Amino acid sequence: MTQGERLKKYIVPVLFGLGFMAVLCVGLLYVRSYMMGQTVRERSDQLEEMIVQIRTNLEYGLETHWNYLTSIEHTIEGRQYPDDAAVVRDIAALEQQFVTERYGSRVMFLDSKGRALLREGEKGIWGDINRLADGEVRHTFVSDTSNVDGTFLAFVLKMDTPVIVGEGEHQERLTHLVLLKDMETLQQYYTSESYGGKAATYMIKENGLLAYYDAEDDIFGVRNIYKALDQAEYIQGRSFDDIKEQMAANGVAVSNILLDGTEYYYCLAGLDTYEMTLMLLIPAEYIAVETVNMMNSTIGVLLAFLGLLAVMMVLTVSGVLKVRNRNRVIEIEQENNQTLNKLRLAAEDALHAAEVANRSKSTFLSNMSHDIRTPMNAVIGFTTLAAANVENTEKVKDYLAKILSASNHLLSLINDVLDMSRIESGKIQLEEAEANLSDILHDIKTIVSGQIHAKQLDLYMDTLDVTDEDVYCDKMRLNQVLLNLISNAIKFTPAGGSISIRVAQLHSAPEGKGRYEIRVKDTGIGMSQEFAQRIFEPFERERTSTVSKIQGTGLGMSIAKNIIDMMGGTIRVVTEQGKGTEFIINLTLRLQNERRSVEQIKELEGLKALVVDDDFATCDSVTRMLVQVGMRSEWTLSGREAVLRSRQASEMNDAFHAYIIDWRLPDMNGIEVTRQIRREVGESTPIIILTAYDWTDIEEEARAAGVTAFCAKPMFLSDLRESLLTSLGYQQAENGRGLPTAEGQEEFRDKRILLAEDNELNREIAVELLSEYGFRVDTAENGAEAVKLVEQSRPGDYDLVLMDIQMPVMNGYEATRRIRALEDPYLANITILAMTANAFEEDKREAAEHGMNGFLTKPIDIGQLLDTLRLVFCKP
Amino acid sequence: MKWKKCISLLMACLLAATLLAGCGGDTAEQPAASEKKETVTVALWGNQLLESYAQYLCESFPEVEFEFILANNSTDYYRYRNDHGDLPDILTVRRFALKDAVLLKDMLYDLCDTELASTFYGSYLENYTYDDGTVNWLPACAEVDSLIINKTLFEEYNIPVPTDYASFISACEAFEAEGIQGFVSDFDSDYTCMETLQGFSIAQLLTMEGREWRQQYESGATNQLSEKVWMPVFEKFFDMKDKVGLDETDAAMENRAPKDLFLEGKAAMYRGTGADVITFRGRGEDVPLLMPYFGDTEEDNWYLTYPAFQVAASKKAMEDPEREQLILDIMAAMLNQEGLEHIAYGKNMIPYNKNVNLELLPELDNLKPFIDENKMYIRLASNDMFRISREVVQQILKQEVATPQEAFDAFNALLAAENPADQVVAHIDTYYSKDFTEEHGDQAASAICNTIRAEAGVDLLFAQACYISSDIYEGDYTENDLSYLTKNDGGWPVVADLTGEQVYRMVEATLALKDNRGAVCTDSTLYVSSGFEMDISRTEDGGYTLNALTVNGEELDREAVYSVLIFGDRDWYMPVIMEEIGCEDFNDDVLKVKEYVYKRLVEEGGQLEAPTDYITLH
Repeated sequence: MTQGERLKKYIVPVLFGLGFMAVLCVGLLYVRSYMMGQTVRERSDQLEEMIVQIRTNLEYGLETHWNYLTSIEHTIEGRQYPDDAAVVRDIAALEQQFVTERYGSRVMFLDSKGRALLREGEKGIWGDINRLADGEVRHTFVSDTSNVDGTFLAFVLKMDTPVIVGEGEHQERLTHLVLLKDMETLQQYYTSESYGGKAATYMIKENGLLAYYDAEDDIFGVRNIYKALDQAEYIQGRSFDDIKEQMAANGVAVSNILLDGTEYYYCLAGLDTYEMTLMLLIPAEYIAVETVNMMNSTIGVLLAFLGLLAVMMVLTVSGVLKVRNRNRVIEIEQENNQTLNKLRLAAEDALHAAEVANRSKSTFLSNMSHDIRTPMNAVIGFTTLAAANVENTEKVKDYLAKILSASNHLLSLINDVLDMSRIESGKIQLEEAEANLSDILHDIKTIVSGQIHAKQLDLYMDTLDVTDEDVYCDKMRLNQVLLNLISNAIKFTPAGGSISIRVAQLHSAPEGKGRYEIRVKDTGIGMSQEFAQRIFEPFERERTSTVSKIQGTGLGMSIAKNIIDMMGGTIRVVTEQGKGTEFIINLTLRLQNERRSVEQIKELEGLKALVVDDDFATCDSVTRMLVQVGMRSEWTLSGREAVLRSRQASEMNDAFHAYIIDWRLPDMNGIEVTRQIRREVGESTPIIILTAYDWTDIEEEARAAGVTAFCAKPMFLSDLRESLLTSLGYQQAENGRGLPTAEGQEEFRDKRILLAEDNELNREIAVELLSEYGFRVDTAENGAEAVKLVEQSRPGDYDLVLMDIQMPVMNGYEATRRIRALEDPYLANITILAMTANAFEEDKREAAEHGMNGFLTKPIDIGQLLDTLRLVFCKP
Repeated sequence: MKWKKCISLLMACLLAATLLAGCGGDTAEQPAASEKKETVTVALWGNQLLESYAQYLCESFPEVEFEFILANNSTDYYRYRNDHGDLPDILTVRRFALKDAVLLKDMLYDLCDTELASTFYGSYLENYTYDDGTVNWLPACAEVDSLIINKTLFEEYNIPVPTDYASFISACEAFEAEGIQGFVSDFDSDYTCMETLQGFSIAQLLTMEGREWRQQYESGATNQLSEKVWMPVFEKFFDMKDKVGLDETDAAMENRAPKDLFLEGKAAMYRGTGADVITFRGRGEDVPLLMPYFGDTEEDNWYLTYPAFQVAASKKAMEDPEREQLILDIMAAMLNQEGLEHIAYGKNMIPYNKNVNLELLPELDNLKPFIDENKMYIRLASNDMFRISREVVQQILKQEVATPQEAFDAFNALLAAENPADQVVAHIDTYYSKDFTEEHGDQAASAICNTIRAEAGVDLLFAQACYISSDIYEGDYTENDLSYLTKNDGGWPVVADLTGEQVYRMVEATLALKDNRGAVCTDSTLYVSSGFEMDISRTEDGGYTLNALTVNGEELDREAVYSVLIFGDRDWYMPVIMEEIGCEDFNDDVLKVKEYVYKRLVEEGGQLEAPTDYITLH
């Protein structure tokens, strides 16, 4: 071998080795860069989620202050003061009444010249008076003036009606109402204990200047935060201009920057209503710690692997070079061994994958087996017992009731499994339609009231600031979610406990939409924090001695979560063992353009009403509604005070013209309050009892005491309006729904139905049920027989065909196709309803595509069956 | 093992290199810092700041060579300097409106993030903050500018001191009956016209409509007066003019005249400042009181205020971090407790700064409740407001406009029209620097002084260099630009015939002045001579002493009589220096210096005289 050949022999493997190493290094770099990108995304997502949550809290908190301010405005509306001293005294009283100290707030009035009046007295011209000179009614800004000590978030409201101080020439007008909130008390809305307390919170004015910050250290140490962000070093080729664009588009933006060599993440979220921006600034090392650890470990492993590979490569190359010529057989053997090893590893991998799949299947089957066997056990057991005790009617009735209960549970399990399966396969679709929140809530109340009563629980439903009740949503799915939550609450709350449902409308929705918060809270057994984190996963039920005795599929919460996700909302749970659970749903729903009539009631326009409720939020909410129907409203938390104020109002010839009174007041019940008020006012003044409870038992007593009408909580604007109109003698809108009656049965008498059903038992049940309602029923055991019977019939013999789908000889679809192809047009157009156990949307569509006129699911729900038949027989 | 050794060796080399580089850096910089004093140019808005304020800065920063120049009192002066890329390092301005200052925004340093800015109350700082958060200017303490009454005179004539507008009018009428003028003011000055127009209607201007209009005007959303807000203002002014009996005589009243009437007990009330209360003591022992502008009721009485001046720094001056810190330190010293106490009569003002507590003098006791109640109206002070208020008030007093409606319309018409002073009227062909050198002195000041001497037709001229405000640039000049070449409102030319001996004494006495507004504290505040040369030496205590005066190289003849134009502060410097040289016969009824310059460049279409080497400094 020449020297050149010898050289060639070495160069090829070395070059190959180097090339391989280069590819590996490039791969490693790519993996590293990919993982770093993932880390940035993970961190950004986490922060974005957190700041949105904080913003929601903060906006809600700030909105609460506006509510307070509006309530104070309502309270002082129409008041007149002889002098400044009286105003100052009243400020102290208002602060006490509205417990402003608890919120770190102070009340201040401004007169038309800008003089500030606080509870300490007059403070001269307010230093921030010029900020109000832009013609706006509401202002929110950080105030730091020389004549009112301290730094505050000022909420300034230009009052609709100025309050008069003094008389004659010296008369002065108080034009603005101000709530000065100590900045430090804002902390409760945004403090996040995550990130090891390293999250700094900043509030930034529109011009980029720092309004307030809360952190251990002021990391920027400057006033112009936007300028600092603009000058910061951006790591990934971004700039503050990009962030501003992102903010303008989404209202939220995240980026990472280097400040003095340390990587930080900042996240901005606009508080547009308050002309401010919220910012979180956190050192990168405290965000997504787990993800970063994972990335570091992975890169470490990869490096080790690469090192090992490099060593192996060197060894292999040198080994190959040394051994190749001398021991060809061993080399081949090694190659064979390697191949075998690879095959073995591949086989092991495949086995492992099969085992995992098998395990999942086993887990699912085990869960299903357990959950199906439990009610099936009851069905078989009680059926056996019923057969053995057939002579004992009482026992049989009891057993049948238990069988029915177990069957219902079984059905709900199957429905849940199907729902879950369809949600996971993406087949479920929301059907948005016009809906009314009041109707939804009242329907739910009706549905659950039986269970509530049976379990001796209290149900409390309430609304807060809901001004838009007509929305678009999938009512059935929303009902499903709410019923699921309420059913759980009922299940897990022992007798004597209470369940409350509160619907609130938040005030930061985009135009044309409404943001709603629905809270379902119980005083039940609660959950462990560990379980609360997994509650939305399928088949999760807490295994405790109490819970294990309660039936459930473990799918309900997962379905609820999936539905809310599909609606674009959020659901979360707050719970504590032994104290109860609260589910909080946030939804943004499209509002209907044509809102329900909210016009003012002419007879009550400008008249005064009194709201009596021990809950401030209810007073506030009802007061706003009354204002919307055109009334002036006052409120009190006490029954005794209500009686006193009614008397004073009558004496001062400014009587209240309507009363909305809570039934259960702590100091005096609503009936008694009504009785005493009725003595003062005439019969014509409406007194409406507002109650969350069933009033049947006390209605007679209440009417005798002078109650004009009852209004059930939750009370929406439409409910209040209807109650007031009813009280004034107007016809209430008829919205009752007809239920099956004896007349209904007459309606079906002698109607003839052809039932095509292959299962004998099902056939028998259907015939019995339909006969009960006056139908005459012929039967066919398969599709071919049904076609034959229809073909042989005369027009008018059959009014309807109920057609099973899966049948031997000829299925329902084919039978329908053939009937539709008959020559006689009457027979060909006969009404055919599918009756099937396949209950999916796609099954419905397929039935319609095959020419069927309707769709009924098995097992037969007699209510649904009658409704459908009524539609068929009543259609023109 | 070999690798380990290599790496260790490399690390050791790196460490050594780093340490050596660090040491080298320090040693290289130290001598540079100590070699030369850092020069900082400070433009002072008014000559009263030359008195103790400039001295205070020199003493506080001995390592700094200050160049003081006297600037015009409006931001437009800096616009002119900026047009020539020549902003001073530190700027001060008296008349301020954010809408005028915005032209300079990109040239000035953003103070927003400085510790200095954080010491101000947020509500005050808001007035200086642009939409993007930039803060260029910070205010010194507030000057109070309202009505001064001679309480002693009121008591002598048994006339009640006014408490509101009606009693103010009654008092004026009562004094009129006694042959004493009730109320006087220098309506020849634009600020008087503007302040009295606004002052008597403060309550009206501070209604919410008034505040809304002002916000729109200051943000540039409108350039017209609102009829609803401003018609009552003109109606009130007409009412005041008619009842007080103001007419064209008052329209012609210049700075000194109303003050003299007040000092002589011939006028009972005078529009003046907190400083005036302390200095104008009527007939010697009279008790003056600073009263608010009177409204319809006592509740509507307000004092009128404005920041004594605002401070800013040129962005260009702050490019070097060390210099940036130095200038920030100087600005902090200008606005801290000690600095503010050195502004004129220090204790007659109200601080905007949280860390400053200025005690009011007993003469200003009646201000306290108004300060506590924050009833201090900050005047609306855009350049247009000054200029147009003067024009319209003059027309009212001269009865060229007869009704409030006509006055209102005239005001709006002027607001909409272009300012004629912005037209180009002259061109200067040669550039002269204002930098002082020991051999040539201040060449820009010399060119101006030689021109004035030629136009005034005098033998000699003696003027303070810092009254010539900037470099003389080559290029086109508007009427406003020409007026910025010289400082006019504090400086006043006087012509006298002096012997050579008197001229010697004048220069010697001037160099010896320490505590007055003719003060010479740095090379840049030294005087300029025209028609003769000065040989001056520095003294060990930081002052100056005169060696010789020459004319064309020959010693000035002490016996000869020369006509001399002296240009300096009229109220403070002139009386002192004239007494010092024993000159009682002098003429101050001459043109203002800007008028000489205007005459040469515009009316005659000529150029400035060439500068001369008027000084030798040892």
